[in-house]
Amino acid sequence: MTDLNHIEKKAFLVKSSSLKDVRTFCREVFEKLNIEQNLKDELVLAIAEAAQNIVKHAYKDKPDANEIMVVEISLVNKEMKIAFYDMGTPVDPKKVKHREIDNVKPGGLGTFFMQEIMDAVEFKDGKKPWINHLVLTKQL
Amino acid sequence: MKFKVIENENVSTVFLNGEIDMDIADDVREIVFPLIDSGKEVHLNLKDVQYMDSSGISVIIESNQRAREKNTKVELKEVSQPVEKVLAMARKFL
Repeated sequence: MTDLNHIEKKAFLVKSSSLKDVRTFCREVFEKLNIEQNLKDELVLAIAEAAQNIVKHAYKDKPDANEIMVVEISLVNKEMKIAFYDMGTPVDPKKVKHREIDNVKPGGLGTFFMQEIMDAVEFKDGKKPWINHLVLTKQL
Repeated sequence: MKFKVIENENVSTVFLNGEIDMDIADDVREIVFPLIDSGKEVHLNLKDVQYMDSSGISVIIESNQRAREKNTKVELKEVSQPVEKVLAMARKFL
């Protein structure tokens, strides 16, 4: 892994067909940072789940809104921060939790994956014009 | 994503490939669910699946539940390493 500090961000249309582009962007950034393959796969999964939640939940009521979300990846002093910005329906952080382990049904796994992979999954106050601002953090 | 399905007596094997995410999951359901509904045992061959997220896991959970309702079963075959890692994380839910 590189010791250089690094920051990159990119905007994507909020739609399910953008999720592949989000993954491609992240893989390219992690490639530049020389992140090892296993960790890279985990980080891409966590990011993809967060982006999926934006498409699936924050824009649930406006699927054709043609709006953008921004993904920002930064590595400073070996702390990886992945920030997401969107202008969808405000998320109530208290309601964001993975389902119970004995509850075998689809859904809720994405949040579980994010929490398993990252050190912290936090909603911060969205600075205008953004409504939601999610930050995933991991010490590398 | 293109799927290949091989029929062998009472087993249908679906060869999936590429990356299975929210954008693709419904396509997988459209292929797999009718096979389960026909009462056949369904094998999902995942050797050429390079990426799967919670949407793909959801399809597997739904397929298993559907198969139980139809008194048949779904098995995963030749699971690729990237998918195995995701399954390992999700295993406590499966």
